Order: sequence, then structure tokens, then C-alpha cells
Amino acid sequence: MDLLQGTLDVLILKTLSWDAMHGYAISRWIRQHTDNVLTVEDAALYQALHRLERKGLIESEWGLSENNRRAKYYQLTQAGRAQLRAETSEWRQYAEAVFKVLETA
Amino acid sequence: MRRIRGIRPAFRLPWFSASRVRREVDDELRFHLDMKTQELIDAGASPTDALSRARAEFGDLEYTRRYLNQTDRARMHHERRSELGDELQNDVRFAFRQLRRNPGFTAIALVTLALGIGANTAIFSVVRGVLLAELPYADPDRLVRVYSKIERGMTSVSPADFNDWRRQSTRLSALAASSEGTVNLTGTGTAERFGQARVSANMFQLLGVRVALGRAFAPGEDAPDAPRVVILSDGLWRSRFGGDPAIIGKSIRLDDFPTEVIGVAPPEMRYPSPVDLWLTTRFSAKDLSDSNRGSRWIDVIGRLAPGATPEQAQSEMNAIARRLELQDPKHNAGYSTRLLRLRDDMVGGVRPALIILLAAVGFVMLIACANVASLMLGRTAARESELAVRTALGAGRGRLVRQLLTESCCLALAGGVLGLALALAATRLLLSLAPSDIPRLYNVRMDATVLLFTIGTTALAALFFGAAPALQASGTDTVLHLRTGDRGSRTRPGSARARSVLVVTEITLALMLLVGAGLLIKSFERLRDVNPGFTAARVSTFTVTLSPVKYETLEQQRAFSTRLLDAVHRIPGVDSAAVTFGLPLSGTSFQLSYTVEGRPAPPPNAEPRAQVRIVSPGYFATVGIPLVRGRVFGEADRAGSPRTMVVSEETVRRYFPGEDPIGKHIDFGWNRDGDHLAGEIVGVVGDVRQHGLSEAVTPHVYAAWDQWPIDEITVVMRSRGDPAVAVAAARATVLSLDRDLPVYDAFTLETMVDRALGQPRFYVLLLSIFAALAVVLAVVGIYGVIASTVQQRTREIGIRIALGASRERVVAMVVRRGLILALAGIALGSAGAYAVSRVLQSLLFGVGARDPFTFVAVAALLGGVALLASWLPARRAARVDPLAAMRAEG
Repeated sequence: MDLLQGTLDVLILKTLSWDAMHGYAISRWIRQHTDNVLTVEDAALYQALHRLERKGLIESEWGLSENNRRAKYYQLTQAGRAQLRAETSEWRQYAEAVFKVLETA
Repeated sequence: MRRIRGIRPAFRLPWFSASRVRREVDDELRFHLDMKTQELIDAGASPTDALSRARAEFGDLEYTRRYLNQTDRARMHHERRSELGDELQNDVRFAFRQLRRNPGFTAIALVTLALGIGANTAIFSVVRGVLLAELPYADPDRLVRVYSKIERGMTSVSPADFNDWRRQSTRLSALAASSEGTVNLTGTGTAERFGQARVSANMFQLLGVRVALGRAFAPGEDAPDAPRVVILSDGLWRSRFGGDPAIIGKSIRLDDFPTEVIGVAPPEMRYPSPVDLWLTTRFSAKDLSDSNRGSRWIDVIGRLAPGATPEQAQSEMNAIARRLELQDPKHNAGYSTRLLRLRDDMVGGVRPALIILLAAVGFVMLIACANVASLMLGRTAARESELAVRTALGAGRGRLVRQLLTESCCLALAGGVLGLALALAATRLLLSLAPSDIPRLYNVRMDATVLLFTIGTTALAALFFGAAPALQASGTDTVLHLRTGDRGSRTRPGSARARSVLVVTEITLALMLLVGAGLLIKSFERLRDVNPGFTAARVSTFTVTLSPVKYETLEQQRAFSTRLLDAVHRIPGVDSAAVTFGLPLSGTSFQLSYTVEGRPAPPPNAEPRAQVRIVSPGYFATVGIPLVRGRVFGEADRAGSPRTMVVSEETVRRYFPGEDPIGKHIDFGWNRDGDHLAGEIVGVVGDVRQHGLSEAVTPHVYAAWDQWPIDEITVVMRSRGDPAVAVAAARATVLSLDRDLPVYDAFTLETMVDRALGQPRFYVLLLSIFAALAVVLAVVGIYGVIASTVQQRTREIGIRIALGASRERVVAMVVRRGLILALAGIALGSAGAYAVSRVLQSLLFGVGARDPFTFVAVAALLGGVALLASWLPARRAARVDPLAAMRAEG
């Protein structure tokens, strides 16, 4: 299933809400937690990461990966956390409204 | 791997560069592909297969690489900007904290700056409004004033010459004439006298002025037989006619002639001067005739033809003038022309004075900046250890300099704001003090240009006094300061030297200003002592001009003046009274040439000349002009009796040397209905000044009023009580004689003499204020330097006292240092003042620009004040307790 427009950003924010991660780990995490239903193209993921960093929602730092290699870790900023909360509730309202329509019909 | 947030700014890594961004993007992407490849290999793929699958699954790798690079670079720029902004904000906050922490320093620096900036802005606003602002007319650069010129003197123009110029000139696309006077407005409300200009019909068009209402003059409306028309000034239209647009087409009575209002001029129309209304010239055939070519009384302006240069126009006008010389040598021999840019012509007279004032406030500003720089140097020296600590903690030199410059800027900004407030008040004060004969004062105001000037001055000031401490701080030796545990009590010799240089500069400039002020004061005193030739005390005057309709004949004019004089004599408190045409010092010019009976005719333009005055018998006694020889006019000098004349001493000196003028007959060419102004000289009286106190006396010839009555009657009265009461009574008297006759130019002769001193008084006052400011600032400067020297040398002084130096010796030691600085400044300043003294010469009267007395007096004054300024801290030095001094520094 392809991602709906604008979904990728909120997925990334959610992923990073647990811990700081590098890009590869984020990609793996999304794949695992959506049971491979949502496919995120890596190119799109990295573009989104840098875009979010530019917006100040996430920030990055170089660190060491599990296999002792230099990797770029991303983490949420205060602004990112707030954005995630706002978008989560928006998504919930949106989904509930859509379901309501679909199930009453 | 989480970082500690607070530390980040302090240990900020060097700025990201574009290549660094590229490297990081490459690293990040390579890491991803490596991990992905490994994952695929772990799942059983072959290494080469795995790499290409990883690349394929990634998507558009090259596009992503470019996208990431771009995004990161944008982020980097953004961060750098906001970080610089934060830094600036911090610096500003820190700067204000520093300034608040040193209220004494801040207050002195602020007051100094505010005075400097305020005075500069105020004077600049005057200079801009009067000298620099463009004239509010179309293409003002192409407007020229055209004079007739004889030898070195420039004169007005005769209507006949004007007519010929107009016909023959091609380099000037148009020429227009004007003459100013006054006119009675009657019929609506109280009769009033208004300022008018008679202009040629093309005047408005030449200037490019469009009327606000109605129409301008049409060609031909300046002919003598054209219907009478008038254009009102905006001010008169509003004040007298309530701003009613319906006034256009109505008729008003001007000098009893019904005159149609055809237009209202816009407020900016102020040519030839801010008059109340404009009429047309209406030159008569006689005005334009060759026989009247010699009477030069109109002012002419022209507009350069497209493409013509002023030089071309000037040489063409000279060629025309040469032709007229040949054509009419009797009147025009020796006359050429002179073209001046119109604006230069209007303000040329006050330019030197205003430029000198601007230079003077510039000096004050420099002194103020030097003072603040010196103060800041002293304070930076005291802060050296703070700065050293900050350097050690990683602040770069650039960073420190930036911090110090921020402090200077904040100081300058605050000073600028205060200065601007001061300038607003000062400009208003200036305008109220300024004599009304400075042209274009109505143009003076605070506007964007003046504001820009203030901002520029402030910025320059900040740079000037901010640079010194910043340069000094950038050279601070960190290690030395930290090791010696210096508490800021020592100053490096460089700083002390810099402050000495600043103080010497201040004294130099102050001395130059003081010399200028001293010279002007002396010159002003000389001017005040000039004998105007008459006794002004208790004499008042007023003028009426008779309507040419109601008082058409000389007989009517004579009868009215007799009645008026009789009535004035009856006013209680009036001891004596007389009528005259033309008062001394009023600038009234009625110059005529004459011939002396029995002498051979002199060559053209070499005839004797005189300012002609027409007076009644009591005139000389009333205004206190002394009789030197012979007699003045008496009851015998009536209409119909033999014509008599009284001449001034200067007339005798110049035209009757070694001769007795009494009994000689003189004859002026000027005639009324063929009746020559002529007569026998019966007396000689003292000289009076015609234009100003600083000008040489001109020859005068007086004629008897009864024999030559005239429609412009100036009454002079010497009264016992308050002259103002006499004037009020005189107004009532005039009203009782003729309800429609407005009284104008009513004042006392003392105010007239006072007015003649107006400009010099204004300049001397301002220059004295600036000089006083300069001296105060320079003295504060010298005091500051000596006081901090004493503070820094407390320990050394303590040791000297402990070793037996007498207190007197300590005082002498300290004072000597102050005196050396003062003497250096005085020597340099005297040399400077001597060198530039020539520029002052044009403002001086009766005193040389290198007057040794002034130089010595001023040097002594400044030296004395400097001595006092260094003696005060020296006394403190002498009171130093040696034990305390050594312990404190041990």
C-alpha cells in the first residue's frame, strides 16, 4: 500500500518518539511495525528526514551504531514532540470521521 | 550519545562548510546502503547482487543526494543567521547592563554625545533649509538672477534695459522682472498695508509655479493700460478672505484701485520674497524710455534656454550690455551684467556665517567624541582583566571587538535619541532667536534628510569613539593579565598615550573655537559702538502711504502731511516730530546723480551721487542729526520759496573737498512734470548710516518736504514717555484723519538699531555657546585623564610621600602633566586658528582675524581652566595616605 500524502512525516516523528535512531533503523522500524503493509521508499524517507530537520522538528548528531560504525542519529526536538501530539489527534479525528461514514452506510 | 544541551553554544564547532555538508550526506547514505546490503547478504543474497538490490530498493539515489545537500545547506545558513542574531541580542543586553552598572560614566558620555549630536543636528537643519534645499520651482538649477554691474558693484536693472535684454537674449529662454513694495487694502474690514510684488506677466510661468486656484497672469496683463489683476498668496487668502474659493473673479480695492482677484498662489510660491500678493509691473512708456534707462530699480531673473550653459548666457548678456553701452553711453557707460544662480543669490549673504557655524558644531562634535573615546579607553583599561578572562574562556578577538563595538553603538544610539530630542528643542530656539533677515528660514524643519544626517553623525561617532577601545582590547595580553592577578589598576602605556593624544586634540579644537568666538565678540562690541549718526533713544516712527486716487495731486499730499504733522505734535508727550522720506539704517535707497552749477560736466557715471532724503524742518532735531555748518530747513523753506538743500559731511568730503558747499546750486536729473529736484545748499549736517552699521557712510542730500512732498510719509516723533504709547496715539490720529489709511512699519528707532545688530548678535551668540561647550568638554577631558592618572599612580605617589616628598611636590608633579597637555593643545590650537583665521574675516568688523590680544586672552583663559582641572585631582593625590596606598596594591 502506498502512503497517503503527508503520512510519512508523522510516521517518522512517531518512530523517533521512542528513541534516537539512524535512518536505516527508522526504515526497518516502520517496515516491522506496519507489518510490511506500508512500503516506504528509502529515498523518500531520507528526504523527509532532512526536511524535518530543516523545519526544526528533529535534530541530528553523529554517533556509533550497533556494529560500531559512524551513523547519523535523529531525535525529536521539543517542537517535534508537540507536532507529533497535534498530528496524532488530527489523524484520530480524521480516521474516526471516515469510519463513521463508511460504517453507517 | 545524548548531549548536554546548555554547553553547546560555548563549545560550538567551527561553522559547517558546504564541503562538510556534502561529506556528511555521503557518509549517511553510504551507511544506509552498507546496512541494507549486509541485511540482504544475511538473508542469503550474493554480495554483488545484494549491493545492486539495495541500490534499486532505495529509489532515486542521485536525486536524493542533491536534495539532502540543498536542504542541509539551507538549514546551515539559517542557523548561522539566527545564531548571529542571538549573539547580537546577548551583546546588546550585556552592553546595556554594563552601561547601567557605571551610571557616572554613562551619564557623562550620554550628555556629551547628546549635546554634540543635538547641536549638530540643529545647525544642520538650518543649513539644509537655508543653504541646501532646492528652490521649490521647476528645474531650479536653470534659474538665474541677472544684475546690472558697474565696476565691482551689482545693481538692480532699469525697465528699459530689461526690455532690451528680453528682446535680444537667446541663451535665456525667458526673463522676468519684479519689484517689491506695499499696498493698501481697503473696502473689506479695516484698512491694512500688505507686502506686494509687481511682477512681469510671465513670472509664474518662468518659475514653473502653478496657481492653486484660478489662473496666473496672462501675457499682456503687465501693460500699463491692462485691467488691474492680482494673485493672492495662500496666507493672505486664508487669513483675510477665509479661504473662500469664490474670491476668484471678485474685485478688491488696492491703493483705491478696483483690482480683480484672478488666482491664489500655492504656499511654496515665495518669489521674490514671501509677499502677500502679486500685481503686474505695468511699466509706463516713460519707464521704458531711453531717458529713464539710468533709473535701475527692478530685479530680474531668467531661465537658461535648453542646452545653454550659465557661461554662454553670461557672455551673451555681456555682449548685449556692450551694445547698450554704445547705444546709450549717457546712462549705460561702464555697465555690464552679472548672472548668479538664483539660489546662490538668495542665500549667498549668509553662507559664510552658516558654514562657519556648521564647522564650529563639527568641532564640538569631534571634541565630544574624543571625550567619550577617552572615557571609554579609561574604562576599557579598568576592564582589561575581565576581557582577559573572557579571552581565556574561548572568546575570540573578533568576538570581543564585536562586543565592545556593540557597547559603543548602544551608547551612540542612546546619545543619538537624546540628541535628536535636544535638536528638536534647539531648532525651535534657533528659529525664535534668528534675525528675520536670514533668508529662507521658513524652510527650516526636521525632516528625513535631517534625520538621516543625525543617524549618520551618530554612526560616525560610534565608530570614532568605539574604535579606540576595541583596537586596544584586541591587543590585550591574556596571559600577562591572568598571571599578575591584575585588578585593573594598571594601564598599559599605549592607552595612556592614546588618551593624552585625545585630550590634546580636544584642547586644540576648543582653542580654535574660543579664538573664533573671542574675535566675534570683540567685533560685535566694535559694531555696537558704531555711531549710527543719530540718537535713537525715545524716537519712534510709523509710515503711511497715501492712496494715489484720493491724494492725486502734490497739493493734496502736502496738505495731508501738514495736517498729520500738526495732529502728531498735539499728541501729549510728543516733544518734537517731523516727516521724512527714508530713514537711516532702513536700507531705503533713493540714489540720484546731480550736477553742480558752474562745474564742467563730468564724464558719464562719474557725476556726484547722493542718497536723497526729503524731510520737514524738525527732522534733524527730532532724530538728533547734528548741524555742522550753515542752517537746516526752517519755516522759510516753503512751497514756492527758493529751493534749498542740506548736505551731509560725507558729501562735502567727497564732492566739495577744500570748498565751501554753502551757496552752491545742485541739480538732480530727476524731475516731476519738468520740475527738477534742485536747489541751493544752505547747510551741512552729520553723516548717518544707510544700510548697516558695518558699512561706510554714504553721501546724503536732504530736500525740504514742503517743496517736494511725496506720497510715502514716514513720521518720526521724540516723546517723553513710552514710545509705544505715542505710536498707539498716532495710529488713532491717522484714523481720525483718514479711515482708510493703514499705519505700518511702526517701531522705535532703538529696535531698528537693534535689528541692524541682529545677524552679528545671532552668530556671536551661537559661536560663544559652541565655544563654551567645547571648553567645558575639553576641561572634563583633561580632568578625567589627570584623575585616572592619579588613581593609577596612587601606589607610586604613596611611596614618594613615604620617602619624604612634600605634598607640594606631588601636586606640582601631577599638575605639570595636565599643564603639558594643555600647553601642547594651546600651541597647536593657536597655530590652527592662525592658519584658518582668514575664513572668519568676512564676519568681522573693526578687528583683524589675527588679533593678537584675542589670541593671548583666549590662550590664557583656556590655560587657566586647564590648570584648575588638573589641580583638583592633584590635591587628591597629595592627600594620599602612603600606608593605605601601598597596602591596597601590595
